[in-house]
Amino acid sequence: MKNTKQLLALLCVGALTIVTLGCGGAPSTAQKVPGKMAIEYWHVNAESFGGPTVKQLVEQFNKENPDIEVVEKYNPDMYKGLTQNLQAAMASGNNPDVVQMGYSYLNYAGENFKYANIPDIIAKQSPEDKTYLQDNFLPNILALATTDDGKQIGLPYSVSVPVLYYNPDIFKQAGLDPNQPPRTWQEVAQAAKAIKEKTGTVGFFMQEFADNWAQQAIIESNGGQILAKKDGRTIAGFDSPEASEAYQVLANMVKSGSGLHATNEEGFQAFLSGKLGMVCTTIGKRDNFEKSAKFTVMATPFPSFEGKARKLPAGGNMLMIFSKDADKQKAAWRFVKFLESPGALATWSKGTGYLPPRKGVIEDPQGLKDFAEKNKNMQVAMSTMPEVVKWASFPGANGLQAEQALIDVRDIILSGKQSAAEALKQAASKINSML
Amino acid sequence: MNPFTWQSALFLAPSIILLFFFSYWPLLQDVWLSFYSWNMISPTMKFVGLQNYLQVLSSSEMIKVLFNTALYIIVLVVINFIVPYLLSFIMTHRINKFSFFYRSALFIPSTISLAVASILFLWIFNPLAGPLNILLSGIGLESPRWFKESGLVIVVIGLIIGWKVFGYNLILLTAAMVDVPKELIEAARLENASNWQLFRRIIIPMTSSTALYVFVITVVFGLQYVLVPVNMLTQGGPDQGSTNLVYIVYQYGFVFFQIGKASAFAILTMLLYAFFLTVKTKVLDKMVHYEN
Repeated sequence: MKNTKQLLALLCVGALTIVTLGCGGAPSTAQKVPGKMAIEYWHVNAESFGGPTVKQLVEQFNKENPDIEVVEKYNPDMYKGLTQNLQAAMASGNNPDVVQMGYSYLNYAGENFKYANIPDIIAKQSPEDKTYLQDNFLPNILALATTDDGKQIGLPYSVSVPVLYYNPDIFKQAGLDPNQPPRTWQEVAQAAKAIKEKTGTVGFFMQEFADNWAQQAIIESNGGQILAKKDGRTIAGFDSPEASEAYQVLANMVKSGSGLHATNEEGFQAFLSGKLGMVCTTIGKRDNFEKSAKFTVMATPFPSFEGKARKLPAGGNMLMIFSKDADKQKAAWRFVKFLESPGALATWSKGTGYLPPRKGVIEDPQGLKDFAEKNKNMQVAMSTMPEVVKWASFPGANGLQAEQALIDVRDIILSGKQSAAEALKQAASKINSML
Repeated sequence: MNPFTWQSALFLAPSIILLFFFSYWPLLQDVWLSFYSWNMISPTMKFVGLQNYLQVLSSSEMIKVLFNTALYIIVLVVINFIVPYLLSFIMTHRINKFSFFYRSALFIPSTISLAVASILFLWIFNPLAGPLNILLSGIGLESPRWFKESGLVIVVIGLIIGWKVFGYNLILLTAAMVDVPKELIEAARLENASNWQLFRRIIIPMTSSTALYVFVITVVFGLQYVLVPVNMLTQGGPDQGSTNLVYIVYQYGFVFFQIGKASAFAILTMLLYAFFLTVKTKVLDKMVHYEN
């Protein structure tokens, strides 16, 4: 009898514990302080990639605007991860308010997500900002956040361009002049070869993220295209001799051992520990590289092809608003305006490496004037801003799958399994059947 | 006495309800979803019937996925089943000193999360700056690009899973080994049985029940654990060289947002597992020797 009583008591305690734990309340990321409007801000900035800057800006805004409480949420795996999380959140009805959306997801986001239209918000909630967009942003920058069918779905926020970072110590060891870095891809291949022969370290690495941004830069700078329009439909445009020629430059470097084909983390780790000569990646990594490298990191503009115009897809993100409620939309808009103010943009640039999307920030003494004058690497990136073009984004329901096919072909070409021309042709027909 | 009274039904009810809602209902939903084309947020779902299945079965990816899955199974079984089996035999019956040290040392990695292990191994295998490269260049070899070569990437990921699962399997098999009655072994030794005969004639039959369990969980859970390092390090690459049946479901569902195809892959995976289970029940279970 005593045993049954003990068992019963134990069961009751157990059940009670489970019930209390279960009713602990789902921790809402936006803590509802009474009287404050809660705004959720989603970003992709890890600790090593601008995370502390995000926190700093959010704190500043919350202090200056006591009636709004912004809570920031980090999304791992960059824009792909954020889009996945966003899709799941929208499906369950819990939309965030302000979100950083990668430019490559422009068309997918425009077609699939119920975003709040910024021009409408301005017209209804903030008529005093009627000309805000035109006054402060250049048309080619605003175009980065405009879909193919002309909808302005977001406000450009972070703008990055690819640059070539290099290690001046390795250059000196290989007999190259660190003050005369390679200007064309021909020179890059020669420099990589010299580095490999004279010092034994690998000379060159181009980023291999889960997107084709840097590869688009080299293809388009040689006159090729990623997408083309035929009879009003978008098709793959990279099965051209110019595109294969550009890709083959990379493949040849890898084949001869002077170029590296490995995962991003491996390439960046090797560069930062002094075991890699040149890295071609986003200016957004400038701050992290400068702080973590054991040597002085130098940068030079993305190399061009002799005699051809350089075209650099703008990387980075735009700010989109997803709030449904009118008051929330107004609060979200206030936060977006703060993030795009010269002071905040300057903090953002310094803490990441991203370039300001807005006119006048570079020349503004309260903005980036002093910093830009001192930081050579940033000047390098700014000098290529006029050559910025849109990051190609595959449209349609299979757009993301098409992007993956291009990533796969990168592995095929760089591992030497097929020549660039053959591989690109096969990939193009595969992608055309998907689009 | 009728064992099945309403009281027993009441006791079983909570588990059955949970099992139904969290295991069987989603399975039925999965079958239903596989007949549609949907990206999970659009309000319209397009009915496509068996088209998802036809596309999946005739795609060039399917062959690669099946081949990779088979390769994963071979690598996982060798690293996480055969090696611990032999090692536990050595530890219990051949080495008498330091066995406690070995057991603890080999088990500790299992407590570390797979995500941490993936980053660790990425650093170790770094072809230019990692410790393994330093060793290899010391003997004059250049480090292969571990994560970018089709066959090697599966071996490396198998090793990462081994880091996690090896210790656990070792403990289980050691427990089974220790259970083998010492008299049998001593009797065999008296008759001059070699180590190999000892292993094959006595150890394997006596530990076969645990061995079967370890084999099944190595294959089933191993394939699922693979998702973490693949998602963190290779995302299915290079050129779908590290994807397998489990990852392809994730990729179609949460990278491409094509839930219909993902469900079709999932159902096919389930059928394959069901086939594996039938083989196990009909063939392997009969070969196992149970104490009672």
